[in-house]
Amino acid sequence: MEGIIAIWQRDLLKFFRDKARLFGSFTMPILFLLIFGGGMSGSMETMMAGSMPEGAGEFNYVEFVFPGIVAMTLLMTSIFSAMSVIEDKDFGYMKEIMVSPISRVSIAVGKMLGSATIATIQGIMLFLLIPLLGLSYDIMALIQVIPFMFLLGCALSSLGLLFSSLINSTQGFQLTVQILVMPMIFLSGALFPVSNMPAWMDFIVKINPVTYGVDVMKKVMVDIENMSSTVMDAMGLNLTLFGRQLTIFEEVIFIVIFAFILVFLATVSFKRANA
Amino acid sequence: MESIISVHNLTKSYKNVEAVKGINFEVEEGEIFGFLGPNGAGKSTTINMICTMLKPTSGNIVINGYDVSKDKDAVRGSIGIIFQENTLDEKLTAHENLMLHCRFYNVPKDKREERIQEVLEIVDLVEEKSQRVETFSGGMKRRLEIARGLLHYPKVLFLDEPTVGLDPQTRAHLWEYILRLKEKEGITMFLTTHYLDEAEISDRVAIMDQGDIIAIDSPTALKDQLGGDIIELSTEDNEQALKEIHEKVKEAEVTVDEDTIHLKVASSDAFISSFIKTLNIPITRLNIRKPTLNDVFLAFTGRKIGETVKE
Ligand SMILES: Nc1ncnc2c1ncn2[C@@H]1O[C@H](COP(=O)(O)OP(=O)(O)OP(=O)(O)O)[C@@H](O)[C@H]1O
Ligand SMILES: [Mg+2]
Repeated sequence: MEGIIAIWQRDLLKFFRDKARLFGSFTMPILFLLIFGGGMSGSMETMMAGSMPEGAGEFNYVEFVFPGIVAMTLLMTSIFSAMSVIEDKDFGYMKEIMVSPISRVSIAVGKMLGSATIATIQGIMLFLLIPLLGLSYDIMALIQVIPFMFLLGCALSSLGLLFSSLINSTQGFQLTVQILVMPMIFLSGALFPVSNMPAWMDFIVKINPVTYGVDVMKKVMVDIENMSSTVMDAMGLNLTLFGRQLTIFEEVIFIVIFAFILVFLATVSFKRANA
Repeated sequence: MESIISVHNLTKSYKNVEAVKGINFEVEEGEIFGFLGPNGAGKSTTINMICTMLKPTSGNIVINGYDVSKDKDAVRGSIGIIFQENTLDEKLTAHENLMLHCRFYNVPKDKREERIQEVLEIVDLVEEKSQRVETFSGGMKRRLEIARGLLHYPKVLFLDEPTVGLDPQTRAHLWEYILRLKEKEGITMFLTTHYLDEAEISDRVAIMDQGDIIAIDSPTALKDQLGGDIIELSTEDNEQALKEIHEKVKEAEVTVDEDTIHLKVASSDAFISSFIKTLNIPITRLNIRKPTLNDVFLAFTGRKIGETVKE
């Protein structure tokens, strides 16, 4: 237990010391918010609302896309923070960790919690942009969404961790991860609804943990109770699996299972790393 | 004395090299055990296998009563290691590095500050403890690593080339610390080096070459085994001198190294006066000395320790 906390704290400490990383990671989400939130919001709204009958309700694309951009930030930060494992290998520190009696599962969990915490902090920092975007979310909803963000961060960090335990160079990691990250964003419903996809794409959507994370975040953040079902359809807030609508609870279970499997695989990979 | 480490038929093969070829040895509790050998001899490979960081191809290792392939965590808890390469977190301060180590090894909470202070004193880094490691010199980093290796009071401390890349003065200092430590804590030390003078401080030395241990004993015994004295001489015409030596001198073993002729004799006192008279070529340089570990290595392998293997 002590080992987990030590590894977790070390990663956090290093994150806060690295000012460039702290602010540098903001550029990407802000860029996306500018493009999708500002520039494209008009055309996205027409596209998404196209099927809606006149006067079915108000529709605000920025409100739709903001939780998506937060989820995207979680994805990028989680996975790239997990790269600390490769940096530790490069600078030799991983040997200090591996030769110590900390159990391999604690190493994996400590690293996962570190990346997930960093990702959540970055996600929360995006909340500062809410007033600038002319949005208003319920404060309670914003607080309630944080544990879900952390959970999604855990699942995505464990994915990053598995890759970084298998790959030995930062370049190799960045290349691999880029190929992975793009479809995970576009096929998650973060930026546009993914309700009517061809079967093979739908399959990717349904095994993508970001899909469930984004859906939960939208359900918590967006005021769905006072929303007509047509608007919900248009915003893609009707995620189904095997033909039935998913509850937040079921989605959380999926994310937890995903995280467990990947932490397990990462642990195995740490065990195999040497003897 | 009891063996704290025993190694049996240990081998390690990489894809195209057999780095360790079935070695056997025991390390006794409380001794300084040295591994001496040229680059690529397999020293680090052996240490990494003993420390659970590398899986042996075959053979078994027992440390402190624990089998390295089965009881990894128990082994890890009983050893400290200073790897050949730097493994500090340079973005953190010395104190932070040490504190993390205490936590990794479950040093009791109320003992941590005390022990950190203690090891910092041993390596003279008390003043610098709040500085980031990236601001340290190479020697300071190495000292900090040694301090860190001691924090959890390991039964055995492994030092893989602890002084590599350091200037002679820093090297000498570092050895002072290491010896001070051995006196104070009485821990077993296992070190590797390719500096001969460093191997001399060991209680016993294993000489390793190309994956094999070729001799194992105390430095004195190894040198005594060679016996006698070594006479080094240069002459105005070495070729001619060699010819004469081969003709007239029967009791000496002769080897040549660049422009120096080495004669190994049982006793130089009796030999030298008659030898100088027999030789007709003028001698330009003459030196008589006792054998060193390098001579031991030379005797076993036909090479000097710094020389690379000629295929
Ligand atoms: N990961 C590896 N893959 C392939 N070969 C390796 C690997 N590590 C070491 N070797 C080879 O194994 C042999 C022994 O290497 P080792 O590092 O144990 O030598 P050493 O005695 O520690 O040398 P040095 O004094 O240079 O540190 C060398 O021939 C080396 O090339
Ligand atoms: Mg080595």
